[in-house]
Amino acid sequence: MDAVEIASVTKTFDTLTAVDDLSLTVPEGSVYGFIGPNGSGKTTTMRMIVSIFYPDRGSIRVFGRQMQGARSEQIGYLPEERGLYRKMTVRRVLEFYGELRGGRKVAAEVDAWLERLDLADWAGRKVETLSKGMSQRVQFIAAVIPTPRLLILDEPFSGLDPVSAEVIRAAVLELRRGGATVILSTHDMNVAESLCDRIFMIFRGRKVLDGTLASIQDQFGNDTIRVSAADTLPPLAELPGVEKIRDLGQVKELRMTRGCDPQQVLEVLVARTRVTGFSVVKPSLNDIFVRIAGPASEESKVA
Amino acid sequence: MRRILLVAKRDYLATVRTKAFLVGLVVAPLLFGGGMLGVALLKAKPDIADRRVAIVDRGGGVAAAIVQAASEKSTREAVDKTTGRQIQPHYFFETVPAANGDANAQRLALSDRVRRGELYAFLEIVPQSKDPGLRVSCYSNSSGIDDARRWFDGPVTEGIQRVRLAQLGVDPSRFKDLLAPVAVERLSLVTRDEKTGAIVNAHKKGELEGFAVPFGLMMLLGMIVLVGASPMLTAVTEDKAQRIVEMLLGLATPWELMMGKVLAAVGISLTSSAFYVIGGTLALYGVGMIGMVPFSLLPWFYIYLVADVVMLCAFAAALGSACSSPQDAQSLAVVLVSPVVIPYFLLMPALQQPNGSIATTASLFPPFAPMMMLLRQAMPGGVPVWQPWVALAGIVACTLAAVWAAARIFRVGILMQGKPPRIADMVRWAIRG
Repeated sequence: MDAVEIASVTKTFDTLTAVDDLSLTVPEGSVYGFIGPNGSGKTTTMRMIVSIFYPDRGSIRVFGRQMQGARSEQIGYLPEERGLYRKMTVRRVLEFYGELRGGRKVAAEVDAWLERLDLADWAGRKVETLSKGMSQRVQFIAAVIPTPRLLILDEPFSGLDPVSAEVIRAAVLELRRGGATVILSTHDMNVAESLCDRIFMIFRGRKVLDGTLASIQDQFGNDTIRVSAADTLPPLAELPGVEKIRDLGQVKELRMTRGCDPQQVLEVLVARTRVTGFSVVKPSLNDIFVRIAGPASEESKVA
Repeated sequence: MRRILLVAKRDYLATVRTKAFLVGLVVAPLLFGGGMLGVALLKAKPDIADRRVAIVDRGGGVAAAIVQAASEKSTREAVDKTTGRQIQPHYFFETVPAANGDANAQRLALSDRVRRGELYAFLEIVPQSKDPGLRVSCYSNSSGIDDARRWFDGPVTEGIQRVRLAQLGVDPSRFKDLLAPVAVERLSLVTRDEKTGAIVNAHKKGELEGFAVPFGLMMLLGMIVLVGASPMLTAVTEDKAQRIVEMLLGLATPWELMMGKVLAAVGISLTSSAFYVIGGTLALYGVGMIGMVPFSLLPWFYIYLVADVVMLCAFAAALGSACSSPQDAQSLAVVLVSPVVIPYFLLMPALQQPNGSIATTASLFPPFAPMMMLLRQAMPGGVPVWQPWVALAGIVACTLAAVWAAARIFRVGILMQGKPPRIADMVRWAIRG
């Protein structure tokens, strides 16, 4: 069964179309990454899955059921805007959120998760005494108690230090191993590449990419050459078939036109300089992202 | 329902466990009672410094008679006959001959004497052709609502009457009998005892019965409603500003969230009311005035309380959801408290004419009905039996409409950020959802 089925969904705010005729299927048990520039419609899509917003057109089914405004104990949601009751203790606030979603006492699960995320010593402290990283870990726990079948995380790694980010990453993978489906949005392409089974990119409210990393890269082909040289490289723009040059420091990345033969490029380079590195690669997710959203990413304004 | 109760429980405990709530529970009646006490103390310590008043008669021939009547009144009323304590100032009069020249110059000179504190005021008597034949003016530096101005009304009238009676040849020794005021005794209606069938005589109406009980009940209702409802506006705005709302909306529907908060406010109001009603009843029992407690009105009191809190809290939730900051919320607080504050402005007309058109209309107008109808019900004459039920029907209808509209506004407004609230937007959200 698919965890989420989004069919021809459109959502507008006044004159702005935040999500435009979107269809998407999230298989159960997968980690699905939502990427896209700010204001492209990621958060709006997530809010519609959780039923915080209702679609103007189209339908959304979660585990085969149309939500129609109801809240499901099977969905855990971590919003991008983090907020906890600052005057409550960590344990009380987690028990409150857990009971609200699960409809039962969750004290044991709270203790277990606090222990797992190294927050047991802070259970009796007020939320306002926590550091930002700790607050984000507490917020994550609030989203996973009781253990959800579908976990939706909006920018879960935003603002986290590497240690906290690794703790959350491990927890997400553990939940996936337990059978949970995870949808997460991120601006970190490394996270999307390494953590997600499938990636969905939304741009100006429309789906522009959807699939596994390999299938997405295949759409763009082996059009990237990475080259390094012992001496100064000759002017690369003069090489045959070079469309775009990206300076990565020690390495230069060349995007080639479709049909260009890398062998020709190598021959020209070898003739002019001492080449120390030459590889033909698929474009990275970051590169693909920039190709799609680069020129227009600053124009979008909608969350 | 489970989620509504959970949200209500959290919000209720978060409020009643704060020091601010506990302090407010005690301080609010102290402030209110302190104000009343202050007025009472000021009344108990009136200004009793001697007052010198000049009187200028420009041809009326009544100055001497007015001075005599005023001096008699001053002597009669300055001292409490029971305690012997002075409770009003003594008035002393100085007859000033009318100037032959410029009357305005004389008025200015006397005004300067008032300004220097040599005189408290001066009276001027000027004959005129039309009735009543004289014009008497009082010039002073005190406020327009100063009691002293009314103090002169009696002696001036009495002095002129004496002169005119004397002109008609009436014996001066009969003046006192002829001019003596007759007090009207205020009594309740005669009733029949339902158990014995005997006719129960009317009893003398006191100020407490006619004023204190209805006023006290109305004030208590207003105070408790405000204690319960007014924090809602800032609480919703703070939840929104602290980004707690979206997390909650992932766990409960906007309706469940709003009704949980409303239910918490009802609980807070009932807690406050229990404190005040039980405390007030015990206090009155302690001083032997338990009979003043209007037990028969307590069910109505609680019906009005719950309805008013639900109605105002729904409004507050809607307004709070449209605000992006506590500053926005503060500017809307005036709108929110108006259903409680406006009835206070209608208090005097309602006390003077409880069944008059102003009081009746206001008590049937749903936003004001809880306060105004309770006030009228608490007054000795009561209200026609049908009126509280009609008012209640209006209140229930208005409350349901308020909750319905508020829920629609809340659902849209709660995730809006950065835009100050606009009434037009809220109306659109309420209509379109």
